[in-house]
Amino acid sequence: MTSMRYSLTVIFSLMLVLVLQLIPVSADWLPWKPNFLLLIVIGWVIFQPNQWGIGFAASVGFLADLVFRSPLGLHVFLFVFIGAVPYLLSGWLIYFNFIHRCFFVFILIIFSELIRNFIYSVWGVPVDYGDVPLGAISSALIWPVIDKFLVNVHKKRR
Amino acid sequence: MTIHYYTNWFSSIEKFSDRSMRPVYWVANIPSRIGEWADLSSTDRSVIEKENLRLKQESLIYRGQLQRMAELAAENLRLRLLLNATELLTDSILVTAVIGVSPSPKSHTLSIDRGLQDGVYVGQPILDAEGLMGQIISVFENHSVALLITDNTHAIPVQVLRNGMRSIAEGTSDYNNMQLRFLSPTADIREGDELVSSGLGGRFPPGYPVGSVLSVEQVSGEHFIKVNVRPAAEVDRSKHLLLVFTSQDGSRNGNSQ
Repeated sequence: MTSMRYSLTVIFSLMLVLVLQLIPVSADWLPWKPNFLLLIVIGWVIFQPNQWGIGFAASVGFLADLVFRSPLGLHVFLFVFIGAVPYLLSGWLIYFNFIHRCFFVFILIIFSELIRNFIYSVWGVPVDYGDVPLGAISSALIWPVIDKFLVNVHKKRR
Repeated sequence: MTIHYYTNWFSSIEKFSDRSMRPVYWVANIPSRIGEWADLSSTDRSVIEKENLRLKQESLIYRGQLQRMAELAAENLRLRLLLNATELLTDSILVTAVIGVSPSPKSHTLSIDRGLQDGVYVGQPILDAEGLMGQIISVFENHSVALLITDNTHAIPVQVLRNGMRSIAEGTSDYNNMQLRFLSPTADIREGDELVSSGLGGRFPPGYPVGSVLSVEQVSGEHFIKVNVRPAAEVDRSKHLLLVFTSQDGSRNGNSQ
Protein backbone atom coordinates (compact mmCIF):
# COMPACT_ATOMS: atom_id res chain seq x y z
CA MET A 1 0.00 0.00 0.00
CA THR A 2 1.49 3.36 -1.04
CA SER A 3 1.75 6.13 1.54
CA MET A 4 -0.74 8.20 -0.47
CA ARG A 5 -3.29 5.40 -0.42
CA TYR A 6 -2.56 4.80 3.25
CA SER A 7 -3.21 8.45 4.14
CA LEU A 8 -6.42 8.38 2.10
CA THR A 9 -7.53 5.29 4.03
CA VAL A 10 -7.01 7.13 7.32
CA ILE A 11 -8.93 10.19 6.08
CA PHE A 12 -11.72 8.00 4.69
CA SER A 13 -12.02 6.10 7.98
CA LEU A 14 -12.25 9.40 9.87
CA MET A 15 -14.90 10.80 7.54
CA LEU A 16 -16.92 7.60 7.75
CA VAL A 17 -16.95 7.50 11.57
CA LEU A 18 -17.72 11.24 11.66
CA VAL A 19 -20.82 10.66 9.56
CA LEU A 20 -21.78 7.61 11.65
CA GLN A 21 -21.39 9.71 14.80
CA LEU A 22 -23.68 12.41 13.40
CA ILE A 23 -26.54 10.11 12.33
CA PRO A 24 -29.49 11.23 14.46
CA VAL A 25 -30.97 8.72 16.92
CA SER A 26 -33.89 9.08 19.32
CA ALA A 27 -33.26 10.04 22.95
CA ASP A 28 -33.96 6.48 24.13
CA TRP A 29 -31.09 5.12 22.01
CA LEU A 30 -28.65 8.00 22.50
CA PRO A 31 -26.85 6.46 25.53
CA TRP A 32 -26.30 3.29 23.45
CA LYS A 33 -24.64 5.15 20.59
CA PRO A 34 -21.02 3.94 20.20
CA ASN A 35 -18.24 6.49 20.36
CA PHE A 36 -17.11 5.87 16.77
CA LEU A 37 -14.59 8.70 16.66
CA LEU A 38 -12.80 7.64 19.82
CA LEU A 39 -12.81 4.02 18.62
CA ILE A 40 -11.04 4.90 15.38
CA VAL A 41 -8.53 7.07 17.25
CA ILE A 42 -7.79 4.22 19.67
CA GLY A 43 -7.54 1.84 16.72
CA TRP A 44 -5.01 3.89 14.76
CA VAL A 45 -2.96 4.55 17.92
CA ILE A 46 -2.92 0.82 18.76
CA PHE A 47 -1.88 -0.29 15.27
CA GLN A 48 0.34 2.63 14.22
CA PRO A 49 1.50 4.38 17.41
CA ASN A 50 4.55 5.91 15.76
CA GLN A 51 2.62 7.47 12.90
CA TRP A 52 -0.73 8.22 14.55
CA GLY A 53 0.01 9.16 18.14
CA ILE A 54 -0.96 11.89 20.56
CA GLY A 55 -0.90 14.67 17.95
CA PHE A 56 -3.32 12.70 15.81
CA ALA A 57 -5.63 12.16 18.82
CA ALA A 58 -5.51 15.90 19.61
CA SER A 59 -6.34 16.83 15.99
CA VAL A 60 -9.33 14.47 15.86
CA GLY A 61 -10.43 15.80 19.27
CA PHE A 62 -10.33 19.34 17.90
CA LEU A 63 -12.38 18.24 14.88
CA ALA A 64 -14.89 16.60 17.26
CA ASP A 65 -15.16 19.83 19.28
CA LEU A 66 -15.96 21.78 16.13
CA VAL A 67 -18.50 19.30 14.79
CA PHE A 68 -20.28 18.57 18.08
CA ARG A 69 -20.40 22.23 19.18
CA SER A 70 -18.83 21.19 22.48
CA PRO A 71 -16.58 23.57 24.44
CA LEU A 72 -13.27 23.81 22.58
CA GLY A 73 -10.72 21.57 24.26
CA LEU A 74 -13.14 19.06 25.79
CA HIS A 75 -12.66 16.39 23.14
CA VAL A 76 -9.00 17.38 22.64
CA PHE A 77 -8.41 16.65 26.33
CA LEU A 78 -10.47 13.44 26.28
CA PHE A 79 -8.90 12.05 23.11
CA VAL A 80 -5.36 12.93 24.17
CA PHE A 81 -5.88 11.45 27.63
CA ILE A 82 -7.46 8.24 26.34
CA GLY A 83 -5.15 8.03 23.28
CA ALA A 84 -2.11 8.31 25.55
CA VAL A 85 -2.96 4.99 27.22
CA PRO A 86 -2.60 2.76 24.10
CA TYR A 87 0.30 4.95 22.99
CA LEU A 88 2.24 4.33 26.21
CA LEU A 89 1.27 0.65 26.26
CA SER A 90 1.98 0.13 22.55
CA GLY A 91 4.94 -2.16 23.36
CA TRP A 92 2.65 -4.50 25.26
CA LEU A 93 -0.44 -4.21 23.11
CA ILE A 94 1.09 -6.22 20.27
CA TYR A 95 0.86 -9.28 22.54
CA PHE A 96 -2.86 -8.69 23.16
CA ASN A 97 -5.21 -10.96 21.26
CA PHE A 98 -8.53 -9.86 19.78
CA ILE A 99 -10.58 -10.50 22.96
CA HIS A 100 -8.07 -8.62 25.09
CA ARG A 101 -8.26 -5.66 22.74
CA CYS A 102 -12.09 -5.64 22.97
CA PHE A 103 -11.90 -5.58 26.75
CA PHE A 104 -9.17 -2.94 26.64
CA VAL A 105 -11.34 -0.72 24.42
CA PHE A 106 -14.34 -1.26 26.73
CA ILE A 107 -12.30 -0.04 29.71
CA LEU A 108 -10.97 2.97 27.77
CA ILE A 109 -14.47 4.05 26.70
CA ILE A 110 -15.71 3.69 30.29
CA PHE A 111 -12.84 5.94 31.43
CA SER A 112 -13.57 8.43 28.70
CA GLU A 113 -17.27 8.66 29.62
CA LEU A 114 -16.44 8.98 33.33
CA ILE A 115 -14.03 11.85 32.65
CA ARG A 116 -16.53 13.55 30.32
CA ASN A 117 -19.33 13.26 32.88
CA PHE A 118 -17.03 14.50 35.63
CA ILE A 119 -16.13 17.61 33.58
CA TYR A 120 -19.81 18.26 32.84
CA SER A 121 -20.75 17.84 36.51
CA VAL A 122 -18.04 20.40 37.43
CA TRP A 123 -19.81 22.82 35.06
CA GLY A 124 -23.11 22.10 36.78
CA VAL A 125 -24.65 20.03 33.97
CA PRO A 126 -26.87 17.21 35.30
CA VAL A 127 -25.21 13.88 34.47
CA ASP A 128 -26.38 10.30 34.69
CA TYR A 129 -23.53 7.94 35.50
CA GLY A 130 -25.88 5.01 34.87
CA ASP A 131 -25.55 5.64 31.12
CA VAL A 132 -21.75 5.28 31.17
CA PRO A 133 -21.54 1.49 30.57
CA LEU A 134 -24.16 1.52 27.79
CA GLY A 135 -22.02 3.43 25.30
CA ALA A 136 -18.97 1.38 26.32
CA ILE A 137 -20.82 -1.91 25.70
CA SER A 138 -22.00 -0.85 22.24
CA SER A 139 -18.51 0.50 21.44
CA ALA A 140 -16.95 -2.82 22.46
CA LEU A 141 -19.48 -4.63 20.23
CA ILE A 142 -18.57 -2.40 17.28
CA TRP A 143 -14.84 -2.77 17.92
CA PRO A 144 -14.44 -6.13 16.06
CA VAL A 145 -15.38 -4.42 12.78
CA ILE A 146 -12.83 -1.66 13.32
CA ASP A 147 -10.23 -4.16 14.55
CA LYS A 148 -10.67 -6.31 11.45
CA PHE A 149 -10.42 -3.28 9.16
CA LEU A 150 -7.25 -2.01 10.86
CA VAL A 151 -5.62 -5.46 10.90
CA ASN A 152 -6.20 -5.70 7.14
CA VAL A 153 -4.78 -2.23 6.52
CA HIS A 154 -1.81 -3.04 8.76
CA LYS A 155 -1.11 -6.28 6.86
CA LYS A 156 -1.26 -4.55 3.48
CA ARG A 157 0.96 -1.78 4.78
CA ARG A 158 3.63 -4.33 5.79
CA MET B 1 -12.75 24.72 27.52
CA THR B 2 -14.14 26.26 30.71
CA ILE B 3 -13.73 29.73 29.15
CA HIS B 4 -15.61 28.54 26.07
CA TYR B 5 -18.37 27.00 28.20
CA TYR B 6 -19.02 30.16 30.19
CA THR B 7 -18.36 32.86 27.56
CA ASN B 8 -19.12 33.70 23.92
CA TRP B 9 -15.53 34.50 23.02
CA PHE B 10 -15.26 31.64 20.56
CA SER B 11 -18.55 32.27 18.77
CA SER B 12 -16.77 33.20 15.51
CA ILE B 13 -15.02 29.79 15.50
CA GLU B 14 -18.38 28.11 16.21
CA LYS B 15 -19.97 29.96 13.30
CA PHE B 16 -17.14 29.03 10.97
CA SER B 17 -17.34 25.35 11.94
CA ASP B 18 -21.15 25.35 11.62
CA ARG B 19 -20.86 26.68 8.10
CA SER B 20 -18.07 24.33 7.03
CA MET B 21 -19.55 21.20 8.61
CA ARG B 22 -22.92 21.52 6.93
CA PRO B 23 -22.11 19.01 4.14
CA VAL B 24 -21.13 16.44 6.77
CA TYR B 25 -24.50 16.88 8.50
CA TRP B 26 -26.20 16.59 5.11
CA VAL B 27 -24.43 13.26 4.45
CA ALA B 28 -25.26 12.04 7.97
CA ASN B 29 -28.94 12.65 7.24
CA ILE B 30 -28.95 10.44 4.14
CA PRO B 31 -29.77 7.19 6.04
CA SER B 32 -32.82 8.73 7.70
CA ARG B 33 -33.98 10.18 4.37
CA ILE B 34 -33.57 6.77 2.74
CA GLY B 35 -35.52 5.27 5.65
CA GLU B 36 -38.36 7.77 5.13
CA TRP B 37 -38.38 7.11 1.39
CA ALA B 38 -38.36 3.32 1.91
CA ASP B 39 -41.16 3.66 4.46
CA LEU B 40 -43.24 5.64 2.00
CA SER B 41 -42.48 3.33 -0.94
CA SER B 42 -43.33 0.17 0.95
CA THR B 43 -46.62 1.51 2.32
CA ASP B 44 -49.68 -0.12 0.84
CA ARG B 45 -52.01 2.02 -1.30
CA SER B 46 -55.02 1.21 0.91
CA VAL B 47 -53.09 2.42 3.97
CA ILE B 48 -52.29 5.71 2.21
CA GLU B 49 -55.95 6.10 1.23
CA LYS B 50 -57.04 5.50 4.84
CA GLU B 51 -54.44 7.99 6.06
CA ASN B 52 -55.65 10.52 3.49
CA LEU B 53 -59.27 10.07 4.63
CA ARG B 54 -58.27 10.46 8.29
CA LEU B 55 -56.31 13.65 7.49
CA LYS B 56 -59.26 15.08 5.55
CA GLN B 57 -61.58 14.41 8.51
CA GLU B 58 -59.05 15.90 10.89
CA SER B 59 -58.71 18.97 8.68
CA LEU B 60 -62.51 19.38 8.66
CA ILE B 61 -62.66 19.20 12.46
CA TYR B 62 -59.83 21.75 12.83
CA ARG B 63 -61.46 24.11 10.33
CA GLY B 64 -64.66 23.93 12.35
CA GLN B 65 -62.73 24.66 15.54
CA LEU B 66 -60.91 27.51 13.78
CA GLN B 67 -64.23 29.21 12.99
CA ARG B 68 -65.07 29.11 16.69
CA MET B 69 -61.55 30.42 17.45
CA ALA B 70 -62.06 33.37 15.10
CA GLU B 71 -65.24 34.27 16.91
CA LEU B 72 -63.54 33.97 20.32
CA ALA B 73 -60.53 36.00 19.13
CA ALA B 74 -62.86 38.80 17.94
CA GLU B 75 -64.71 38.74 21.26
CA ASN B 76 -61.39 38.75 23.15
CA LEU B 77 -60.21 41.75 21.14
CA ARG B 78 -63.45 43.68 21.90
CA LEU B 79 -63.08 42.93 25.61
CA ARG B 80 -59.42 44.00 25.59
CA LEU B 81 -60.40 47.25 23.88
CA LEU B 82 -63.08 47.83 26.54
CA LEU B 83 -60.43 47.31 29.21
CA ASN B 84 -57.99 49.61 27.33
CA ALA B 85 -55.51 46.71 27.25
CA THR B 86 -52.80 46.47 24.60
CA GLU B 87 -53.65 44.65 21.40
CA LEU B 88 -52.58 41.02 21.17
CA LEU B 89 -49.81 40.23 18.71
CA THR B 90 -50.66 37.93 15.85
CA ASP B 91 -48.19 35.23 14.85
CA SER B 92 -47.36 33.89 11.43
CA ILE B 93 -45.42 30.73 10.77
CA LEU B 94 -42.90 29.26 8.38
CA VAL B 95 -42.46 25.51 7.92
CA THR B 96 -38.91 24.19 8.24
CA ALA B 97 -37.18 20.81 8.27
CA VAL B 98 -34.52 19.50 10.63
CA ILE B 99 -31.23 18.87 8.76
CA GLY B 100 -28.93 18.03 11.67
CA VAL B 101 -28.97 17.08 15.33
CA SER B 102 -26.15 17.53 17.81
CA PRO B 103 -24.71 14.07 18.55
CA SER B 104 -23.65 15.04 22.06
CA PRO B 105 -26.19 13.96 24.71
CA LYS B 106 -25.33 17.07 26.75
CA SER B 107 -25.82 19.62 23.98
CA HIS B 108 -29.41 19.83 22.75
CA THR B 109 -29.17 21.76 19.50
CA LEU B 110 -30.39 21.11 15.98
CA SER B 111 -29.91 22.63 12.55
CA ILE B 112 -32.83 23.65 10.33
CA ASP B 113 -33.00 24.40 6.61
CA ARG B 114 -34.04 28.06 6.88
CA GLY B 115 -31.69 30.98 7.31
CA LEU B 116 -31.18 34.68 6.69
CA GLN B 117 -32.77 34.41 3.24
CA ASP B 118 -36.05 33.38 4.88
CA GLY B 119 -35.95 36.15 7.48
CA VAL B 120 -34.94 33.91 10.38
CA TYR B 121 -33.42 35.82 13.30
CA VAL B 122 -31.61 35.01 16.54
CA GLY B 123 -34.03 34.42 19.39
CA GLN B 124 -36.88 33.33 17.12
CA PRO B 125 -39.09 30.64 18.70
CA ILE B 126 -39.55 27.28 16.99
CA LEU B 127 -42.28 24.76 17.66
CA ASP B 128 -43.56 21.44 16.42
CA ALA B 129 -47.15 20.19 16.15
CA GLU B 130 -47.25 19.54 19.92
CA GLY B 131 -45.59 22.55 21.51
CA LEU B 132 -42.59 24.84 21.90
CA MET B 133 -39.26 23.32 20.90
CA GLY B 134 -36.73 26.08 21.50
CA GLN B 135 -35.19 29.16 19.94
CA ILE B 136 -32.73 30.10 17.21
CA ILE B 137 -29.21 30.83 18.44
CA SER B 138 -27.25 31.18 15.17
CA VAL B 139 -28.41 32.19 11.71
CA PHE B 140 -26.52 31.54 8.47
CA GLU B 141 -27.36 32.23 4.85
CA ASN B 142 -29.37 29.04 4.23
CA HIS B 143 -29.58 27.32 7.60
CA SER B 144 -29.86 28.07 11.31
CA VAL B 145 -29.04 26.44 14.62
CA ALA B 146 -31.67 26.16 17.36
CA LEU B 147 -31.23 25.55 21.08
CA LEU B 148 -33.88 23.19 22.46
CA ILE B 149 -35.86 23.90 25.63
CA THR B 150 -34.40 20.73 27.19
CA ASP B 151 -30.79 21.97 26.97
CA ASN B 152 -29.41 22.63 30.42
CA THR B 153 -28.48 26.21 29.45
CA HIS B 154 -32.06 27.02 28.43
CA ALA B 155 -34.86 28.47 30.54
CA ILE B 156 -38.33 29.58 29.53
CA PRO B 157 -40.95 31.61 31.47
CA VAL B 158 -44.12 29.55 31.83
CA GLN B 159 -47.47 29.67 33.55
CA VAL B 160 -49.81 26.96 34.76
CA LEU B 161 -52.85 26.87 32.47
CA ARG B 162 -55.20 25.94 35.36
CA ASN B 163 -54.47 28.90 37.64
CA GLY B 164 -52.03 31.20 35.82
CA MET B 165 -49.22 30.65 38.34
CA ARG B 166 -45.91 31.79 36.85
CA SER B 167 -42.60 29.97 36.98
CA ILE B 168 -39.49 29.24 34.93
CA ALA B 169 -38.91 25.85 33.28
CA GLU B 170 -35.26 24.89 32.92
CA GLY B 171 -33.74 22.20 30.73
CA THR B 172 -31.89 19.33 32.38
CA SER B 173 -30.02 17.81 29.41
CA ASP B 174 -32.70 15.12 29.33
CA TYR B 175 -34.99 15.09 26.28
CA ASN B 176 -37.93 13.91 28.37
CA ASN B 177 -37.57 16.11 31.40
CA MET B 178 -37.46 19.76 32.46
CA GLN B 179 -37.66 21.26 35.93
CA LEU B 180 -39.49 24.16 37.54
CA ARG B 181 -37.14 25.82 39.99
CA PHE B 182 -37.66 27.72 43.23
CA LEU B 183 -41.31 26.85 43.83
CA SER B 184 -42.41 27.01 47.46
CA PRO B 185 -44.03 23.93 49.05
CA THR B 186 -47.31 25.86 49.25
CA ALA B 187 -47.42 26.54 45.49
CA ASP B 188 -50.66 25.44 43.84
CA ILE B 189 -49.26 22.95 41.34
CA ARG B 190 -50.07 19.29 40.85
CA GLU B 191 -49.34 16.35 38.63
CA GLY B 192 -50.88 16.67 35.16
CA ASP B 193 -51.00 20.48 35.16
CA GLU B 194 -50.47 21.92 31.68
CA LEU B 195 -47.80 24.60 31.27
CA VAL B 196 -47.85 27.25 28.54
CA SER B 197 -45.40 30.02 27.69
CA SER B 198 -46.20 33.14 29.72
CA GLY B 199 -44.69 35.62 27.26
CA LEU B 200 -42.66 37.28 30.02
CA GLY B 201 -39.28 38.46 28.82
CA GLY B 202 -40.63 39.02 25.33
CA ARG B 203 -38.69 36.15 23.78
CA PHE B 204 -41.47 33.57 23.44
CA PRO B 205 -45.04 34.47 22.45
CA PRO B 206 -47.60 33.67 25.19
CA GLY B 207 -49.96 30.73 25.13
CA TYR B 208 -47.92 28.02 23.40
CA PRO B 209 -47.82 24.61 25.16
CA VAL B 210 -44.50 23.90 26.89
CA GLY B 211 -45.22 20.72 28.82
CA SER B 212 -47.14 19.00 31.57
CA VAL B 213 -46.20 18.35 35.19
CA LEU B 214 -44.88 14.82 35.61
CA SER B 215 -44.27 14.82 39.35
CA VAL B 216 -44.15 17.13 42.33
CA GLU B 217 -41.73 16.08 45.05
CA GLN B 218 -41.06 17.50 48.47
CA VAL B 219 -37.37 16.85 49.13
CA SER B 220 -36.65 16.74 52.86
CA GLY B 221 -34.25 19.45 53.98
CA GLU B 222 -34.89 21.54 50.84
CA HIS B 223 -36.70 24.89 50.87
CA PHE B 224 -38.27 24.35 47.47
CA ILE B 225 -40.24 21.55 45.87
CA LYS B 226 -38.92 19.61 42.91
CA VAL B 227 -41.27 19.77 39.93
CA ASN B 228 -40.50 17.61 36.90
CA VAL B 229 -42.06 18.58 33.58
CA ARG B 230 -42.44 16.48 30.45
CA PRO B 231 -42.00 18.67 27.33
CA ALA B 232 -45.09 18.86 25.13
CA ALA B 233 -43.01 18.93 21.94
CA GLU B 234 -41.44 15.75 20.61
CA VAL B 235 -38.04 17.30 21.07
CA ASP B 236 -35.97 14.34 19.88
CA ARG B 237 -38.34 13.09 17.17
CA SER B 238 -39.92 15.95 15.22
CA LYS B 239 -38.52 16.40 11.73
CA HIS B 240 -40.71 19.25 10.54
CA LEU B 241 -40.94 22.38 12.66
CA LEU B 242 -42.56 25.79 12.58
CA LEU B 243 -40.74 29.09 12.90
CA VAL B 244 -42.92 31.68 14.61
CA PHE B 245 -42.90 35.28 13.40
CA THR B 246 -44.81 37.67 15.64
CA SER B 247 -46.17 40.87 14.03
CA GLN B 248 -43.78 42.78 16.33
CA ASP B 249 -40.91 41.57 14.11
CA GLY B 250 -42.50 43.26 11.15
CA SER B 251 -40.95 40.73 8.83
CA ARG B 252 -43.94 38.61 7.91
CA ASN B 253 -47.69 38.94 7.78
CA GLY B 254 -50.18 36.14 7.55
CA ASN B 255 -49.42 32.47 7.33
CA SER B 256 -46.76 31.38 4.92
CA GLN B 257 -45.23 28.10 3.84
